[in-house]
Amino acid sequence: MNMRLKLNGDVVTIDTQPDAFLLEVLREHGLTGAKEGCAVGVCGACTVLVNGDPVSSCLLLAGQADGADVWTAEGLARAAPHIAAAFADNEGLQCGICTPGQVVSAYALLQKNPHPTDAEIRTYMAGNLCRCTGYASIRRSIEAAANA
Amino acid sequence: MARVDGIAKATGAAIYAADVRRPGMLFAAVVRSPFPSARIVSIDASEARAMPGVHAVLTGQDVGSALFGRRVRDVPILAQSVVRFAGEAVAAIAAEDRATAQRAAAAVRVEYAPLPAVLTPEEAFAPGAPLVHEAAWAYDGAVVKEGDQPANLQSKVAWQAGGDIEAALAASAHTVDLEFTTPAQHQGYIEPQACVCEVGRDGRVRVWAANKSPYRLREQLATPLGLSPERYEVHLVPVGGDFGGKGAPMDVPLCAELARSTGRPVQLARRYTEDLMAANPAHASRTRVRAGCDADGRITALDVHLVFNGGAYAGFKPVPTVNLHGAHGAGSSYRIPAIRIQSLVAYTHTVPGGHRRAPGAPQTVFAVESALDELARVAGRDPVAFRRANLLRDGDAAPLGDTYAEVRGVQTLDAAMAAQRPVPAPAGMLHGMGIAIYDRGTGIGRSSMALRAEPGGGVTAFVSFPENGAGAHTAVQTLVARGLGLAPAQVAVEPLTTDELPPDDGVGGSRVTASVGELCARAVAAFQAERPAPGQSVQATITPGGTRRVTAFAVQIAQVAVDPETGAVHLLHMLTAHDVAEVVNPLAHQVQIEGGVVMALSAALLEDLAVVDGRVTAANLGDFKLASQRDAPPIEVVLVPGGLGVGAANVKGIGEMGNVAVPAAVANAVRDAIGARVRALPITAEAVYGLLHEGASA
Ligand code: FES
Ligand code: FES
Repeated sequence: MNMRLKLNGDVVTIDTQPDAFLLEVLREHGLTGAKEGCAVGVCGACTVLVNGDPVSSCLLLAGQADGADVWTAEGLARAAPHIAAAFADNEGLQCGICTPGQVVSAYALLQKNPHPTDAEIRTYMAGNLCRCTGYASIRRSIEAAANA
Repeated sequence: MARVDGIAKATGAAIYAADVRRPGMLFAAVVRSPFPSARIVSIDASEARAMPGVHAVLTGQDVGSALFGRRVRDVPILAQSVVRFAGEAVAAIAAEDRATAQRAAAAVRVEYAPLPAVLTPEEAFAPGAPLVHEAAWAYDGAVVKEGDQPANLQSKVAWQAGGDIEAALAASAHTVDLEFTTPAQHQGYIEPQACVCEVGRDGRVRVWAANKSPYRLREQLATPLGLSPERYEVHLVPVGGDFGGKGAPMDVPLCAELARSTGRPVQLARRYTEDLMAANPAHASRTRVRAGCDADGRITALDVHLVFNGGAYAGFKPVPTVNLHGAHGAGSSYRIPAIRIQSLVAYTHTVPGGHRRAPGAPQTVFAVESALDELARVAGRDPVAFRRANLLRDGDAAPLGDTYAEVRGVQTLDAAMAAQRPVPAPAGMLHGMGIAIYDRGTGIGRSSMALRAEPGGGVTAFVSFPENGAGAHTAVQTLVARGLGLAPAQVAVEPLTTDELPPDDGVGGSRVTASVGELCARAVAAFQAERPAPGQSVQATITPGGTRRVTAFAVQIAQVAVDPETGAVHLLHMLTAHDVAEVVNPLAHQVQIEGGVVMALSAALLEDLAVVDGRVTAANLGDFKLASQRDAPPIEVVLVPGGLGVGAANVKGIGEMGNVAVPAAVANAVRDAIGARVRALPITAEAVYGLLHEGASA
């Protein structure tokens, strides 16, 4: 199928199988910021924004995403660079494999709730696992981004 | 200070092993055994071979019988006529895309004849047990000898010091004799194992791998094939979480064979399920601890007998003893006049055991710090005061004779207790507080780097070690900038391939910052002595040893609330106190501690690969649960500065200090809350409920 996406602000057409997952489509398209971790929808490493909501792209079929407005960490690097900067400045990452997904979820959270409390961050970000940081520095990064 | 790799990682620009794209690259998939022990009767790959887009299907016969491993070389590239664990690679496909490779893998028909299996060390060590390997003693690097008993032994070590252990126990006023178990636990890195291999026209193999020790990998790949390490060029890529799990050759030998046979670059990226079933998780353990103290509460004897499930291959352990060096630390923080430690590792027909953040130490410390806690209670003593009275003092040797430049266990404990505040449990819940202590030495590894002068006054630091997240590259930037009086932004950090610098031992063992500190000091000194012109560089190397002997103490205090209705354990608060010297990057240091604590809380309460009938049943991250934002309690980090460190940066290791004693602290807190002792990890609500309703205490 020919899949049309608004991808990081640009309209693109990608030739793919309808039963391919959006994660593979994006990665084959050269956007390797979204990572495959668990591949079953629990780790959040593959998180991208689909029509404004953070979604596990490892579970979303290309056919379901056709026509959607999709943003990845690469796109947010231009659209909202203060979030990546807050993670880098506040040790909100270590190995970084979870980080593009964390940044996408953090962006979505701050869009909905510009000044979340600690408890709100914990709840909203519970679907983005991080094995390295122990999470407190991710919360500190999001708070810093909120105040940036 | 900002991480040097921060922006690239947070914007998705950083290229990890699975992100590497090479022209014409094929994608691999692996056929894995569903049986823990079986003979391969036949493999029919005709259908898979005929599928469009499939370039190669390899079986054990196609890849040769060379054996790989970190120390013992006992791991085949693909199973050779027998399979020894459920998940073992039996055949592999390279195809135009991953979906085709996976379809082809599913089309390979393998006929197995199941064989008797030994699934636990107890079964493996039983007289007459089936052998996992016919002649384990014959492998390169093996430490067992022909005829060693029990059968199926990978390794056995014993240490003893002081008086007669049985006499000391018999003469003790109070004793405990308890057994503890821990399950196989995966490292839980979020990046599954991945690599790319490419064979050049010159026959050289280029490798991109999620591997923490590229120079060692080069040797591990070459030696079994009788090649020189220079035949391999390993490119350094960021490692997406390691925690000890990414130091083995793993899938690289197979990926290289696929690349050789197809003449194309090949990527072999595991699905997480394959990683859980068939990588190298922490060894399951069963530990018996006998301990005694006198009427005044002074420890008189400690006898620790550890049995680790090593799984089907020993090749995932790098140390010369082929054991887990954490065992050596049993009781190391205390004055103990009679001590004996034995540690056995068994071959079984289960997933091979490997390293996970302070290998063997979490298992050992869970058992010993739980048993000593119980000993304090049996002796009618407060567990904190009991530990304080028995901790090593300055000038003391550790029970096995190790001596240190200083001993700061008491200061660390006192700092922890001074900061400790009770956090009330919600109404109706049982409150418990538990403590546990760990100490560990800091060393320096072999490493190298180069510093090149850049036009405009900046420098580029070329490094030989990958960034696994712990911050080695940022430490290089900080220390070189400091040493040369530059701003951090004037120091670029770039990894080179293994072709370009003298060998490095890899990132791990809590030695990274100490090593980097010494290395940067030498590089800066060379740079200042030689004053290279722009474009010119200087090189520096370090080798292990030559430092003073230091140990660092960590005191963990857990507060829990136990729901008496369900047995559920809620973490109220963790206090983690650390004996430190200088701290190069305070924020990175703090996050190393916080990350270690949460990883260990996850191990304490959630993680179990649930090996049933030899098969990993928690085979996805939905079932093998890792702690999330919601599970992590408030963590208070207390530092006790002013210690004596090692190397030019004068630091103590931190990477394995945050985690080790945490499960014991939680178990001791549960004991405090419910009056009964948990003796197995993870501490599930079911287990606690059972203890509450038996009313049984250990
Ligand atoms: S890879 Fe999609 S949620 Fe884990
Ligand atoms: S930074 Fe490594 S998993 Fe989050």
